[in-house]
Amino acid sequence: MTFDKILDNDTLWAVRYEDMADNALQTLFEQWSDPEWLVDFFLANMADLESYFKITDINQAIYDTIDDNQRIQCLILDISPEADLDKIFRPLENSRTGEMLLGREKARIKERPRHVSWLRIYAIKLEPGCYIITGGAIKLTHTMGEREHTLAELAKMEQVRNYLIDNQAIDADGFVDFLSELQ
Amino acid sequence: MKKETLEFLEAHQSETPSKWREEAEWRRDNWSWLRHSQKIAVKVLVQMKQEGLTQKALAERMDCTQQYVSKILKGKENMSLDTLSKLEDALGISLIYDEQVVSPSMVAEEVFA
Repeated sequence: MTFDKILDNDTLWAVRYEDMADNALQTLFEQWSDPEWLVDFFLANMADLESYFKITDINQAIYDTIDDNQRIQCLILDISPEADLDKIFRPLENSRTGEMLLGREKARIKERPRHVSWLRIYAIKLEPGCYIITGGAIKLTHTMGEREHTLAELAKMEQVRNYLIDNQAIDADGFVDFLSELQ
Repeated sequence: MKKETLEFLEAHQSETPSKWREEAEWRRDNWSWLRHSQKIAVKVLVQMKQEGLTQKALAERMDCTQQYVSKILKGKENMSLDTLSKLEDALGISLIYDEQVVSPSMVAEEVFA
C-alpha cells in the first residue's frame, strides 16, 4: 500500500491499496456519487434500510446519500490548516474514551434532516490531530460485524494498522511516554 | 506530526497523483445541475430494474444510442429538456421531483460528530 496526502499541512492522509487506481477517499467519493453503484447497493441492502431506519423509499435514500456525500466532499475541500481534526474523527468504539496506539476512528455527518447519516469515513489515528483514511461505508446496521461490506472495512483498518506497526512508521515508545504524561 | 511518521509516509507516497481534489472540485463547481443529473439517473435506474429494462431497450424507446443511455445513467450528463421529455415518455414516469436544497457551506467541525 501507498499513501496520498489529502491536506497540505500533513495532518490528513489516505491509503491507496495495491489493487486500486486511486486512494480510499477518492473511491468513496466516486461510489457515493455514482447512481449505478448506489442503486445496486441499496437494492441489495433494502432490508437493512427498512428494518433499522424504517425507510422504504429507495429513491429518497439514494438522494440523501448523494447530498450527504456532496456535503462531506465540500467540507474536506474546505478544511482550513488550523482545523482540529480531533473534532471531526471520533473513536470507532463508542465506549473508548482514552487514547490508544493507532486507534480506529470514524467520521460522520452530525445533523441532517429526516434521519441520521449512514455514511462513515474510517481512519487510523497516527497521533492527536493526524489521521490516515482507510475507507468508508454506508452503515445500515447497528454494528459493523453484521454485514460483509462493513466487516471488510474493519479488516482494512487492521491491515493498515498492522502495516504501520510492522514498518515502524510510528514511535511506539514515544506513545507510551505520551500516555504516561496524560496520567 | 512527528518527524519519523511524516518521513515514513512521504517515503511511501503513491507514484501517481490522486485525482480526488480535482474531481471533488469539479463536482462542487457543477453541483447546481449535477445533483439533478444524478437523481434523474437514480430514478431511471430504479424504474429500469423494476421493469427489467436493458439499456439497449431504453435506447430503442428513446431512439438514441445505447452509449448515450449509458452516459445518462452515470449521472454526469447535462441533459436538455428534450432528452428529459424523451426519458419520461420512454419510461412513463415523471422525472421532476421536489427536494431540499443542501448548502455545502458549513464548517467541518460543526457537521461531523
